[in-house]
Amino acid sequence: MFVVDAWKRSGYFRVGGIMLAVLLAIAVLQPWLSQLALQNPDVSPMSMGTFEPYADPSPRHPAGTDKLGRDMLALLFLGIRVSMLIALIAGCTATGIGISLGFIAGYKGGWVDAVLRTGTDMVLVIPSLPLLIALAAFLPTISIPVMSLLLAAFAWPFTTRIIRSQVLTLKQRPFVDLARTSDQGDMSIIFLEILPNLLPFLGVSVAVGMSSAMLAEIGLQLIGLGPASINTLGLMVQQSVQSGVLAIGKWWILFAPVSCLIAFFVALNLINIGLESAFNPRLRSVTGD
Amino acid sequence: MTPILAYVLTRALMFLLSIWGAFTLAFFFFHLIPGDPVSAYLQQLEQQFSQTVDAADAAAMAAEMKARLGIDGSLPEQYWRFLGNVFIRFDLGPSFINFPKPAVEHILEKLPWTLWLLGTSTIISWILGFVVGGIIGTFRDNFASQFLINFSLVISQIPSYFTALFALFLFGYWFVLLPTKGAYDPGIEKDLLNPRFLLSVARYAIMPAMAVVMVGVAGTLISTRSLVTTILGDDYLQFAHAKGLRRSHILMRYVLRNAMLPQITGLALSLGFVLNGFYLVEIIFNYPGMGSLFLSAIRLLDYNLILGIVLMSITVVLAATFIIDLFLPLIDPRIQLSD
Repeated sequence: MFVVDAWKRSGYFRVGGIMLAVLLAIAVLQPWLSQLALQNPDVSPMSMGTFEPYADPSPRHPAGTDKLGRDMLALLFLGIRVSMLIALIAGCTATGIGISLGFIAGYKGGWVDAVLRTGTDMVLVIPSLPLLIALAAFLPTISIPVMSLLLAAFAWPFTTRIIRSQVLTLKQRPFVDLARTSDQGDMSIIFLEILPNLLPFLGVSVAVGMSSAMLAEIGLQLIGLGPASINTLGLMVQQSVQSGVLAIGKWWILFAPVSCLIAFFVALNLINIGLESAFNPRLRSVTGD
Repeated sequence: MTPILAYVLTRALMFLLSIWGAFTLAFFFFHLIPGDPVSAYLQQLEQQFSQTVDAADAAAMAAEMKARLGIDGSLPEQYWRFLGNVFIRFDLGPSFINFPKPAVEHILEKLPWTLWLLGTSTIISWILGFVVGGIIGTFRDNFASQFLINFSLVISQIPSYFTALFALFLFGYWFVLLPTKGAYDPGIEKDLLNPRFLLSVARYAIMPAMAVVMVGVAGTLISTRSLVTTILGDDYLQFAHAKGLRRSHILMRYVLRNAMLPQITGLALSLGFVLNGFYLVEIIFNYPGMGSLFLSAIRLLDYNLILGIVLMSITVVLAATFIIDLFLPLIDPRIQLSD
């Protein structure tokens, strides 16, 4: 498995992997962890006025409470879960679109390739954030799946590019020729011969897709276009910026979600660097690993 | 026809084609939105003033507004009118902000602020990243270089609005050194020849610029370092080394000069994307540039202005690529004009 190889070969991958695993564990165990912080099975992390507003951090509320009297720690766990879910759906969808288009372009070649490549370059060059924000502004309702799909719609060109270039080189290799002369169909060549060689690249593109989805999500939230009923980390940042917590000296309310998000970005980035340096020997000199 | 003229003409044609393609794409994107911008706007108005308008009146209002905004008629009709307005008349129609002030005027008013703030900080971060990246690429083995490259790898992916928030907290509220909002001191008369006004403009730009520079430097530093590492392996540099040239001399005369070309492309691209990523930094500092304009346009669901800002961002990116294409053969003699 490529994950084990990357783990053995790259220190970046190990650090990023551990960080992501911790965040993932929080996301999975969130219902239980939030209850642990709330100590009351009847309230949800999002219900308002449960506690005193703007309480300082204390043993009862390790991260304090926000303007609406919600326990920040319980809210933070929920935020990590929801943000992770959106990023995962968006990242996987984008990778799915990217792989399909990349494979078609690289494997078919000819005019199909030319059309797909031009389209991909076009989407790459269009500044996606303003367009995304504009689309979200005119959409009547935004739910978790809609949001994820919206984010995925702009995250796929990167994957298409790397998969296409990899398929182009792989299909020239002797083992693919062998498969073709032994009368394997296109589908079986793609899935059994080429795809297994691309697994590390898929890892990279899921990670890139996740972090660009997350970036765009915060962008939408900061402008105030995300749905207020879904408690993402981006929404928590927006709410604390909006209520001016820096001006009243309650900086931890802002920096709790910000540091979680930074941990996400750093973890995904380290995993990327790790995968690239483990599987793309030319890059090893870049990271000096 | 001389090869240079042919080259320039092909590039210009490509530029116009891609502008047309991207604008068309953006136009149809906007028309894919379920519902239409006018009824969304009317709904917002109804909510805002908690009034209900009866259906006939609402329909009449919607028709009137669509006509004023230039979004009535069938799709092909609208598309032709859109192309005519954008490419021939340079007119995007009226904006809701100070109606009927044209959307184009709003954009042209705010554009200089964004170009000043983000353009300057992008250039500064490029220069810093380039020089430091070159140095740590040449002197790879010491502790400081190792630390810097790892630090940059970690922070290069952090969005600039987070560094903006940290800067705001540290220098705006903790140490209270710098102003937290706006682009100049409102107490000073707005006059480009007044040195006190210029000074306050610079002072108000420090914090947002710092936020952009921090992240930008990391990116340039990483790519410069990797370029330098590859260049250092080349034969002519081993020869320079064997001649006994000092490392600093090699760095200045050979390495940086060769690393500069690809990095200039990078600079032009990031200048092009200035309008893309940094909207949010402006919003955090309430800076009166394109970002804040975009935010008000979004809040009002101002169709023409939103479309205008999106088209503006596309144009800037494509123009930056076009300009690189034109100038690269001039600075890099290795590029052949034939293709």
